Amino acid sequence: MTVHTIRGRGAVPGKAEGYAVVCPDSIAGNSGALGDVDGVIYEKGNVNYGVSIKDKILVVPCAKGSNGFSAHFKCALIAGVRPAGWVATKVDARLGVALASMNLPAVVDFDGADPIDVIRTGDYVRIDGGTGEVVIEREY
Amino acid sequence: MPRLTDDDRRMLDGEYGAFRQRAMAFNVRYAEVLGAEEMCRVSRATLFIGAQHYLDCYAGDENYEKIFSEFYLCGDGPVALERFADCCKTQTCAAACDFRERERTHVSKERFERNWAYLQATREQGVKIVDSCTPYYVGWIPMMGEHFVSTESSNVVISNSLFGAMGNSDGVEAAVCAAITGRTPKWGMHSGENRFADCLVRLECEAESVYDWDLIGFTIGRMIPKHVVPVLAGEIHGMEINRLRQFCSSISVTSATELCHIVGVTPEARTLEMAVGPKRIEHEAVITRKDCEASLDMICSPGRGAVDFVSVGCPHLALDEIKDIAERLNGRRVKDGVELQIWTDYATRAMADVNGYTRTIEDSGAALLTGSCPVVMREESHAHSKAMAINGAKQAFSIRNQTKAPVYYGDMYRCIDSALSGRWEGSRR
Repeated sequence: MTVHTIRGRGAVPGKAEGYAVVCPDSIAGNSGALGDVDGVIYEKGNVNYGVSIKDKILVVPCAKGSNGFSAHFKCALIAGVRPAGWVATKVDARLGVALASMNLPAVVDFDGADPIDVIRTGDYVRIDGGTGEVVIEREY
Repeated sequence: MPRLTDDDRRMLDGEYGAFRQRAMAFNVRYAEVLGAEEMCRVSRATLFIGAQHYLDCYAGDENYEKIFSEFYLCGDGPVALERFADCCKTQTCAAACDFRERERTHVSKERFERNWAYLQATREQGVKIVDSCTPYYVGWIPMMGEHFVSTESSNVVISNSLFGAMGNSDGVEAAVCAAITGRTPKWGMHSGENRFADCLVRLECEAESVYDWDLIGFTIGRMIPKHVVPVLAGEIHGMEINRLRQFCSSISVTSATELCHIVGVTPEARTLEMAVGPKRIEHEAVITRKDCEASLDMICSPGRGAVDFVSVGCPHLALDEIKDIAERLNGRRVKDGVELQIWTDYATRAMADVNGYTRTIEDSGAALLTGSCPVVMREESHAHSKAMAINGAKQAFSIRNQTKAPVYYGDMYRCIDSALSGRWEGSRR
């Protein structure tokens, strides 16, 4: 197993851990792209189509698509299928609302290593939304 | 913690009541997430609100006060609902359904009644029921430099780009809290220094119709880096509001773009130098016909075939387009077994009534509908379809996430013709 640490800006305090789901092209905010009450990604063409976000560390470059982005993730949270936490290369307004609304640990704004390049889906990731530290564990 | 004015602080401390206190607390948390250092005053808002499907997590729970407090105000426990800020002109975006046409749009009685109840509660809070995703057609126009919030992504791009107003593509919780307090974090497009262009885009493709600009927006969105402010330069002729509407809609599907300058068209880009300002062009893209054809293949199912569901009006149509549709349908009949839905807002529909367009459209067997669209109404509105034709890249691309049926995409006229013949005969390349 290898362990690697990267650092960004802590956006929402708190610690979280879980298996990473890396979405290099993010997840669309348009209605139907994320299952509102089952937390499954249904966006056609998404590399993680059919994957549940429940208890995962979501790794995205930013948000994209409809301004409904935050609302669909908020619905998933209330329905009990929320992710454990977020890692984002750079925060934007759509993603910022989701983070503030869900109030889950989040690390954003990486100036050095891009988490999209460094983290792979299936890595076990521990994040600290206070310090901005992201620890990546990879099994070989 | 962002810097707060004395008045902001009083609101946060609860001097203006628990309702505003809760909304201001969200604003502050949102500012901290973004890294914003201060707040700004917001004077216009549009809200994607009502019995939307993102509230399906509350199935069976009719306590709107509790839902509003938890979902929009993001706090624990209900607070009594009060009026939104009088200093902010606030209205609704696209609604969960047409509030007159339930059966023809296949919406359940439960959804229909719940949406009406939620909208009435919203109206009592001082929010106008407009149910439009193109609010600028009927008077919602922010001035240059005016701070706004909008939950309609295409409206954010057009308000920033065409009107020179200042707003972010944030989301419904932030928009609601901004409209309640009249404040939002001064960050992103709310600050002048972030509005200069750093990505130069040139077109080497057709750009002469609403359909062309729909494909161009989708294509630019997928070809530019995620966090840039693009500027279109080169020979651009004949830009008009409906083309720009379509462009701003589709660029929002494939990117996080909030502002796109167009040299000679948009007010912060009278010249390329003005658009770039103190920044430098860090990225360049050239959009070719081949790129647009690749986008078409992403949006439209291959081949040709029968269709039974046709929807036109993403974003909501202007009166001049409804006139064109009425003239195309005049004296003709939609094929038996095919639904043709034409979508606009209530005010434009009223003008279509006065002009006789509504009667012509309805006499053909089509439906002139208001305030919503199939993607927002979700699966129950179109699950019966075996194959559909859709205009608007945003609608066509998004509805593919909700159906296994073929989704054909093309311009408004091709969609209308497919409803008349019952067949899709291929997209124009």
